[in-house]
Formats: sequence, structure tokens, C-alpha cells
Amino acid sequence: MSKKTRVVLLQVILLLMLIILVQNGDCIWLNLPKSGRKCVTEEIHNNVVVLADYVVISDVHIHPTPSITTKVTSPYGSILHQKENATHGQFAFTTSEGGQYLVCFWADDPNQGGALSVNIDWRTGIAAKDWESVARKEKIEGVELELRKLEAAVEAIHDNLLYLKSREAEIREVSDTTNYRVALYSILSLGICIAASVAQLWYLTRFFQKKKLI
Amino acid sequence: MFHTILIIVFMSCLLISNVVGIRFVIDREECLSITVDYEGDTVYVSFVVIKAESPWHFTEDGVDLVIKGPSGDRVFDMHDKTSQKHDFIAHKKGLYHFCFTNKSPYHETIDFDVHVGHFAYHDQHAKDEHFKPLFDLIAKLEEALYNIQFEQHWLQAENDRQAVVNEKMGKRAVHKALIESAALIGASVLQVYLLQRLFERKLGLSRV
Repeated sequence: MSKKTRVVLLQVILLLMLIILVQNGDCIWLNLPKSGRKCVTEEIHNNVVVLADYVVISDVHIHPTPSITTKVTSPYGSILHQKENATHGQFAFTTSEGGQYLVCFWADDPNQGGALSVNIDWRTGIAAKDWESVARKEKIEGVELELRKLEAAVEAIHDNLLYLKSREAEIREVSDTTNYRVALYSILSLGICIAASVAQLWYLTRFFQKKKLI
Repeated sequence: MFHTILIIVFMSCLLISNVVGIRFVIDREECLSITVDYEGDTVYVSFVVIKAESPWHFTEDGVDLVIKGPSGDRVFDMHDKTSQKHDFIAHKKGLYHFCFTNKSPYHETIDFDVHVGHFAYHDQHAKDEHFKPLFDLIAKLEEALYNIQFEQHWLQAENDRQAVVNEKMGKRAVHKALIESAALIGASVLQVYLLQRLFERKLGLSRV
């Protein structure tokens, strides 16, 4: 093989590997029960981009693949995405409130039998950022793009740390309130105990004096 | 020139790390699976039991986790843990299963996070030696940052668990004080009533 052919072949192989690698998704497989629904929640902050992609695979090879219904609910109950009779789909939204977001799956036809697996590719925040468009818009590539990605990751870590700090402050506040409450209510209990015994003594003395025993 | 650009673009896509963090309610048993694409990847897994759905739960029951490899072999297991972090090297590529078993009779909420870290520079074919050390360092940095994000997610879940425990403790303190006072008042009223009845009967018998 001539040198030029080898170089071209290598470039083709690299391009193919690139395509294969780009199509690999991050994913997790959930097993759907035959009846009832499977729900997963995630705590997401305000103003975060969420992208998700799901595919249904049947364990027992049933044709056609059973379809499922998907529902995405925000923390305040509003439905962000609902789709019935689908074997694959995707949804994307930007959160307008922080809290627990609920994604539920259930099989459309419970009688169709066979266990179902759902493959979810779920990305939030920094993982959902489209780096291709950023690279094209700002005309950066290679090392600069990688460093830009790392900078965004570091910022995300910093934001997360600040959020953890605020949560920890809340916990500390509740702890302090509990401490104060335990002290207050213990003294109150003791006071009620003493008051009850004094009342008893007073009542019984009066009773015995009335019956002329004292 | 095209070759160099291709290498650069190729390298930037090699750092694919799977990071997943979800929270779900477990009844008896729950299984999740994740694909590991390359041999030799390190898989980091962590879980935290956020809360148990019962009002008077006071024992620290945990859940069991069994990790099974693509061919069904048992990779790792741990029993009765409320929070755990673990990492292992995946010697085979394929579908790894993480199965949780809940032994307590109540529903529990579990926060589960798994992160597959892949170092691509072992098997890349770049001929351009000038860029290799730089990309190696960037790859290491990215791996370290993903690791930090993974640890932060676990820390956040632990924090959530503490928040739930704290709130329960506050409510319990108030309930305990109220019930104790009520019981005390009830007991003293009962005492007085019984003594009064006893003496009235005795006096009634002796006076008649």
C-alpha cells in the first residue's frame, strides 16, 4: 500500500470512529413493572436546561414493541411533557422553578406482557450544553474548546458548592430551633409535673379537712 | 493540516464520561443497568437513602446493593447500608446491573449516582506528538472535575438526608413534650380520683 493510501485509510478510520463515538450516549436502563408506573425524580435548580431521550426495549422480543406513556411534572404540579403510545421520544425544557422534577413511565397496554426496559439519556445543566454550536459561533476549536468546557464545569461545581452551603445553613437553623425547643419543652414538662403534684396535695388536704380527718 | 484538525476533533470527543444521578422510590427490589463501553473503565457508584416513608421509624435500616457484570457474575455487594460510595474497574464491557433490595416494610427514597470514567489516551492513534502531553493533561483534569461533580452529588444527597432527619427530630421533640404533659396530667387526675373514692368508701363504712 502506498503511503498516501495509508494516510487516507487512517483518516477514514478515524472519521468512522469519531462518528461511532459521537453516537454513543450516556444512558441508564430502567425496568418497567408490568402494572403500575415507574417514577424517577431529580432535584433541579432554577433556570437549568434539561434534555432527555428515551427508548423502549422489550426483554422478550415482541413485535411491535409495546408503547409507553411518559409524563414529566414540575415541582408545582404543572405537566411539562406528556406523550402516549410512543416507543421512543425526547423532551427538553428549561426549568422555571427549583425543586423535585418527576418523570413517570408506564406501559400503555398492561396485558401485552413481557418485561419492558426503558433506556433514558438524561442530561441537565452543563451536560446539556451544545458545544458544537458554541464552537461554531465563537470560532474556537481544539484546546481552547476543551478548556472552555472545563471552565464551565468548574463554574457548575462552584454553583453547586454555594447551593450546598445554603442547604447546610438551613439544616443548622432547624438544628438550633430543635435545641431551643427541647430545652423549652423540658422545662415546661417539669413545670407541669410540679404544678400537678401541688394541685394534688392542695385538693387532697382540702378533702381530708372536709372529712374531718386532719 | 486536515490530519491535525481531525486528531484534535477526535480527541475532544474521546472524553466521554457517563454521569447519571436519579432519585427513585424503592418498594421491595429495584434494578438499574448501565452500559460500560470500554474495558478498563473505572465505575464510581454511590447511593444514599434519603428517607423512609414511616412516621415512627427509628432503626437505621439500610438497603442492600448487588452489582452484577455483563455475564451475570457478582462484582460487588454490600448489605444494610444507608449511604455508600464505591468504585471498581470494569474488566468487561457491556451492561452492568445494580440491584437494590429493601428489607424494611416501608418505602424508601434512594438517591443513586453512577459515573463511568474513561481515559482515552491509552488507545488513541495520534501521530502528532506535539499535542499528546497537552491532551493527556486536559484529559486528566476533566476526569478529576467529573469526579468532583460525582462527590458533590453524593454530598448533596447526604445533606438532604440530614435535612429530613433534622426536621423529624424537631417535630418529635414537640410531640414528646405534649404527650408527656398530657400523660402526667391524666395520671395525677386519676390518682386523685382513686384516692378520693377509696377514702370515701372507707369513711362511709366506718361512719355507718
